[in-house]
Amino acid sequence: MDRVDFRTKVLTRHLKNHHNPATDLLHIGQCVNYSPPELSEPRPDFNTKALRQLLDGESVDEIDYIFNLMIQSDLFCPRERGGKVFISPDFNQSMEHQREMTMRRIDYLRERGAFDGWLTRKGPDAELSGFTRAITVGGFDHSLGIKLGVHFFLWGGAIQFMGTQRHHDKWLKPTETYEVIGCFAMTELGHGSNVRGIETMTRYDASTQEFIITTPCESAQKYWIGGAANHATHAVVFSQLKINGVNQGVHAFIAQIRDANGNICPNVRIADCGHKIGLNGVDNGRIWFDNLRIPRENLLNSVADVSPDGQYLSAIKNPDQRFAAFLAPLISGRVTIAAGSMNITKIGLAIAVRYSLSRRAFSIRPNEPEVLLIDYPSHQRRLLPLVAKTYALSFASEYLKNIYVKRARESIKTVHVVSSALKATLTWHGMRTLQECREACGGQGLKTENHVGHLKSEFDVQLTFEGDNNVLMQQISKALLKEIVAAKRRNKPVKGLGLEHLNKPEPIIPSHLTSSALRTAQFQTDIFCLRERDLLHRFETEVSQREAQGETREHIFTVTYQIAEDLGRAFSDRLVLQTFLDVEATVPAGSLKNVLGLLRSMYTTIVMEEDASFLRYGYLSTDNAAVVRKEVLKLCSELRPHALALVTSFGFPDALLGPIAFNWIDANAWSSVKENNAVFPFLTNML
Amino acid sequence: MAPTNQVLIKESSNVRTIILNRPKQLNALSLEMISRLSEVFHLYEEDPNVKLIIMKGEGRAFCAGGDVSAVVNDINKGSWKLGANFFSKEFALNYFLATYTKPQVSLLRGIVMGGGAGVSIHGRFRVVTDNTVFAMPETALGLFPDVGASYYLSRLHGFFGEYVGLTGARLDGAEMLACGLATHFVPLEKLSLLEDALCKANSGDPKIISNIINKFSNKNPKLKEKSQYFRLKTIDRCFSRRTVEEIISALEKEADKNMDDWISWTIQSLKKASPTSLKISLRSIREGRLQGVGQCLTREYRMVCTVMRGEFSRDFFEGCRALLLDKDKNPKWKPSKLELVSNDMVDRYFAALDDKDWEDLKLPARSNLPSYAISKL
Repeated sequence: MDRVDFRTKVLTRHLKNHHNPATDLLHIGQCVNYSPPELSEPRPDFNTKALRQLLDGESVDEIDYIFNLMIQSDLFCPRERGGKVFISPDFNQSMEHQREMTMRRIDYLRERGAFDGWLTRKGPDAELSGFTRAITVGGFDHSLGIKLGVHFFLWGGAIQFMGTQRHHDKWLKPTETYEVIGCFAMTELGHGSNVRGIETMTRYDASTQEFIITTPCESAQKYWIGGAANHATHAVVFSQLKINGVNQGVHAFIAQIRDANGNICPNVRIADCGHKIGLNGVDNGRIWFDNLRIPRENLLNSVADVSPDGQYLSAIKNPDQRFAAFLAPLISGRVTIAAGSMNITKIGLAIAVRYSLSRRAFSIRPNEPEVLLIDYPSHQRRLLPLVAKTYALSFASEYLKNIYVKRARESIKTVHVVSSALKATLTWHGMRTLQECREACGGQGLKTENHVGHLKSEFDVQLTFEGDNNVLMQQISKALLKEIVAAKRRNKPVKGLGLEHLNKPEPIIPSHLTSSALRTAQFQTDIFCLRERDLLHRFETEVSQREAQGETREHIFTVTYQIAEDLGRAFSDRLVLQTFLDVEATVPAGSLKNVLGLLRSMYTTIVMEEDASFLRYGYLSTDNAAVVRKEVLKLCSELRPHALALVTSFGFPDALLGPIAFNWIDANAWSSVKENNAVFPFLTNML
Repeated sequence: MAPTNQVLIKESSNVRTIILNRPKQLNALSLEMISRLSEVFHLYEEDPNVKLIIMKGEGRAFCAGGDVSAVVNDINKGSWKLGANFFSKEFALNYFLATYTKPQVSLLRGIVMGGGAGVSIHGRFRVVTDNTVFAMPETALGLFPDVGASYYLSRLHGFFGEYVGLTGARLDGAEMLACGLATHFVPLEKLSLLEDALCKANSGDPKIISNIINKFSNKNPKLKEKSQYFRLKTIDRCFSRRTVEEIISALEKEADKNMDDWISWTIQSLKKASPTSLKISLRSIREGRLQGVGQCLTREYRMVCTVMRGEFSRDFFEGCRALLLDKDKNPKWKPSKLELVSNDMVDRYFAALDDKDWEDLKLPARSNLPSYAISKL
């Protein structure tokens, strides 16, 4: 009977005049109201601007400037929902339209000087600013970030790092102004992570002083080349170089693939990679070269050259080292991906946490108000550890950016290993967090306009490009092993990569852990170091035992991947903890430092709770593991009052978040159904 | 506080008409007026008998701004804190109006500048007419666009807000309607009829009010032939630049291509304005774009207190001397050039004041903020 009554009421309301809210309110007293978390939550007890400063450092002003540029242009599709304006690409448009919009947004930003000096200014500040630009626009649309990344970091970076003065003079300025649009033709259908196996072949013709690039078979077609399908005029082509019958290995060449009018050049064939699960605003393409001739000067010759008469010249005799030098530009790609993944993770969390602070479900007792999602311990457990981890990993990504832009010859190895570790760890965390945010927002998480669900497919590719995450993890372990083996051989203490703790005695873990012990930096450091040390030892033992049995190193590394990946994670987690402690040390005692302490404890505790290696290898006894598990819940309830302030400190303007982060009832009200997507709130709010 | 004749009130059943009544000073807002306005607006919000508030000015202006010369006098006689007190009251009123729950119709006849914009633009309906003149002229005075201007200017289309805020450009009624500062344009001869009609309708329903105003309005008032609104593209290209220096150099590049009166006026007005004012104004508008109105006013209060204290620059006092007191129109700014105003100097205007008696602006508590009033940054 109640149901019938309810239906009648609903129908009556449909039939009745809608402009009579007063009478509606009298009869249906239980309407759900939206209350902004800003009013219902306690005021932040720490300075959210100061916390944002720790996350974004020097880049805050530049980030905010780019937000300003994006928010003020119709090209970024401003839409009003619930009295607020949001910007977001129109994903409902066709792939071709999305690609065109990406290019138009780039033109808009370029015309306003947003890219000035990206390649022509030198020094750490200029490089940092490049990261900031690509990452910030990526928060609006991953395609826009990637399109810029390919052009500036990959194409531009290849010219900078693999080229010499003659290339810099000729190409950098026109690249910055987009007279030249670059792409990066490395991956082939048959070869991705294994760059050294690519099959594109280049010969030299001394009579005309030209190189001739050939795609010898279908598996050698260039694949996934961002920018190639529609817009790029030039490509850096990776190819084997055969001189006088000798294959000198992989080299990079500049080839023009389109003329200024966008026509594909003779002896080049280009096809589209087609529609993808995300990133459709980037025109990934495939390229075949049919004996394409390019001038001799187009070899990027920083490590090797070919003389006019066809002699191969290289300062680096060892092809392995030559190859390593070639791959330097990929590191900047990894840095962008790692930092960019934290950026969107923060967007997802800000939306999901804000929603959980305004959305209610179920009453605990009859006639009581329903409970806020975030006040359920289970919901806290879903989101708050991810917030803490995101803070930890964001500090690590800042650290990575900094060591990258300040790199020197002696630190390049560290940059390489750290960028591999963090690229994998951060992007995995990003995808996992977005999935959790999607679920935590329930059905609303499925709507594209609310971002959290959609971001998953847009960012999924991060786990693959610039090095498959699993492959990267194994590479880290190999690098670590090399370090300790070398130190032992020289009979010297281990130095670098944060491995110095190996020179000290093995840390001792208390047999009965307490809550307070779990929260000390000493214990946290000890157990993370113990895990890394032990796994490194186990890995080393297994490798040397197998070597003793006569197995080849290549074979050994393919079969020891389990422990190698455990070790990769242990290295990465210990590194992240260290950077967190370094950040904390810069903050004076007070409420901000206290919150950082809570976040760090949550970070370390959740790692111990979730990574099976702590139990598998016995760093935690089952009793201690139970203490850890309990501590997670305690930390959740202690972080709960800070939830709003913690996502506020991420520093995103409202326009970058989704409607469910704010008044989702107004955003979905009947009155909003008829309104067209009016643009500026100031014009419409008041009317 | 005893009622003042500087603010008059007309009652007509459920409608209250507030009249700014200091015509000799073009209704410039005195502390007394601000206090009285706060008082009546608070009163009317609680009073179920009040449904609609109409606001207008006596004489030929709506309101020419805050009474700055009085503020300067106070400061010269006593302490900068007297100035701070004035602005804390004014900004709290601006916030109250921006988050007001009942509709306010402002009839903007004649001049609407600075503080006058602050008591009208935040309201729901802004009705302009044939002789309306709007401007935020503060940068010429050594101040910056305050009263929540960093909120409403930053929300105009593209970078028009930067243009209006930095140059002090004057907009007429048609331009205000076109850019969104006004919601309606009603020809001068129909304004009093509109007022009567609103009183007669005696309604607080925004839709009904809007329909009534619509009946009297000209939906498409013609922009004058040389309207700056036709220059939106150029404004957008130049005023979107990151720094004031880059904005000026972009304008100069445009001038090289196509020099005309408007562009040379624009460049001149930037060169005449206080360099410090220009830099803090630009940053204020850019930050305001990412903030809610409460945060905008809180930040502006920090800025205005820093200006009043005059520790880093005394341009405000110099501007008032040159434009309001001595009227030689030749202010000597210090620092005198944009390049002498460093980022560090700008930063100081945005930080909390280092003074033990000073506090951040206290916004009046609101029980139910509209979502556009809140921003998280």
